Amino acid sequence: MFDVHFLQQIVNGLSLGLVYALVAIGFTLIFGVLNVVNFAHGEVYTIGAFAGLLLITSVAPPLFAVLLVVAAVGALTGFGLERLAFKPFRRFRDEASIKSRAMREATLLSSLALSIVAREVLDLAFGGEMQVIPQSYLLQTPIMIGGVALTDGNLVILGASILMLAGLQWMLYRTRTGLAIRAVSNNVLGAQFVGINTERAIVATFLVGSMLGAVAGIMVGLYDGSIFPHMGFGPAVKAFVAMVMGGLSSIPGAVISALILGVAESVATDFVSAGWKDLIAYGFLIVTLVFFPRGIFGYSRERV
Amino acid sequence: MKPLALIGTVLAVAAVTAALLLSGSSYAVQVAITALIFVILTASLNLVTGTAGLMTLGHAAFYGVGAYAAALLSTKLGLSFWVTLPLAGLVTAFFGFLVALPTMRLTSIYFAVATLAIGEMIVVAITNWTGFTRGPMGIRGIPSITVFGHEGLTVNLLVVLAATLVSVWAIWRLTHSYYGNGLRALREDDQCAEAMGLNAVRLKIEVFTIACFFAGIAGALFAHTSGYISPESFRFGESILLLTMAVVGGLGSVPGSAIGAIILIVLPELLRGAGNVRMVAVGVVLFLCILFLPKGLFGEVSALAFARNQLRRAGLGWSR
Repeated sequence: MFDVHFLQQIVNGLSLGLVYALVAIGFTLIFGVLNVVNFAHGEVYTIGAFAGLLLITSVAPPLFAVLLVVAAVGALTGFGLERLAFKPFRRFRDEASIKSRAMREATLLSSLALSIVAREVLDLAFGGEMQVIPQSYLLQTPIMIGGVALTDGNLVILGASILMLAGLQWMLYRTRTGLAIRAVSNNVLGAQFVGINTERAIVATFLVGSMLGAVAGIMVGLYDGSIFPHMGFGPAVKAFVAMVMGGLSSIPGAVISALILGVAESVATDFVSAGWKDLIAYGFLIVTLVFFPRGIFGYSRERV
Repeated sequence: MKPLALIGTVLAVAAVTAALLLSGSSYAVQVAITALIFVILTASLNLVTGTAGLMTLGHAAFYGVGAYAAALLSTKLGLSFWVTLPLAGLVTAFFGFLVALPTMRLTSIYFAVATLAIGEMIVVAITNWTGFTRGPMGIRGIPSITVFGHEGLTVNLLVVLAATLVSVWAIWRLTHSYYGNGLRALREDDQCAEAMGLNAVRLKIEVFTIACFFAGIAGALFAHTSGYISPESFRFGESILLLTMAVVGGLGSVPGSAIGAIILIVLPELLRGAGNVRMVAVGVVLFLCILFLPKGLFGEVSALAFARNQLRRAGLGWSR
């Protein structure tokens, strides 16, 4: 059972899971603060990948600089997204309307609409097929460690993810902005009463969440060697599944669920053909929603 | 008093149909058939999402179940259109019933995402179960509709038109009945509705099953009029298109569904010269609609007033 091949699948799964985790954190942060689902999160991931690709083909900077610029582009996209799709629906500032169902569904549809526009504009501009990535940037150089074939992509994803997760924890627990984000996510009205600028906290949430999503996009694009306008849909759905499995507003829960999901998908390729692989995430989602409506880590939540 | 607006609508539909047939343009007739099929789909989606307030993001998959049911029944068992049409509806309704059983305990966002997941599961299954559905190659050579030995575009249009009118009439009467009132109560506050004695879970399962029945009918019409189906027509993007049609027309409004569906089918055809901007147009229209016209072009309030007025004039229904 525990042979080299199995270990290999676990490693691949963990690196896939880390990517899902980065995307899932964006979802979870935004859900925690606004109680809404950002359906355009997958497109932030795609935009990150395309921004990185444009940079690589035009300027060809070192990889680290690419990741930084993509993070900046992601933050900018998040800001624009918040202004266009979420701000117009926050006309009232009381808690009832901020967390109301009408607001939730309106923003769900508006972010969905923007995601369609973004994806189709990219499709028109670049064409629907996979983009050509310069060979020197592909993160596919194999590195053998005791029979397990890692690639430098695995290491970059692992390093960058750990760095970003640590940075996020520092931001959330050691800075005033992080304190404001946690306060708003805990209780919007209470946060306003103690003088927290909730608008700023919400914008900060979008900036951070989209930054992580965009960096995940370019890393996966270079690791898989495929960047195309529809690439965001799969990771976004799986990140959403991870968020629901983790108990919705819990970041550690979402990260652990994302890793479980990644490993499950990677191991499952031994047993089923690639086409059926997508069923695993959907199956996890249905099982979670039906049998563990509070998420598999049992955090408290309102009625689902 | 006569239900003048209702009679006027029927006359207008007849006039447009006659004009289409007299113009002899097979392209225009084809667009009209597509628009009519989407009118059924949007009206059935609106019954679930608008009237009962359960946002579903996987309706196109049920449309696909209906289309595949009709296609397989007619190509493998050699059944005629008149048998496969109701059977496709029933098969899809049964599918919807099975899906509804576990998911109806979920509310709002969770239900939306569960339907998204189930819709994608259905499409993945259709795509990969190549032995049964021929997978991505799709099914070819589905026999077309025959009425007393006649077939062709004119027959297709008339049959689809008849099916659409019957389906929309049924959904309209259902929406504006005591049953529809119960669904609206459920949408506004399901706990309150339960406190007043409505069985919320049962109502939700019933309305989802009914909506799936009509989606299946639309799927069968699509399979038999186009002669070829593949999983591509039933993906998530198509569900979003349906949702956009319902939102643009007005959630909870049956005339709105028809208006939304027709606009979003005909508008891209008119834009055909401007390149492949169909989905961009869908996204922009959806966004602008939510921002500036959240109630839709023919909102639920006007739809309710219209229905009460017309039903009273016709001497039908509960509003006498």
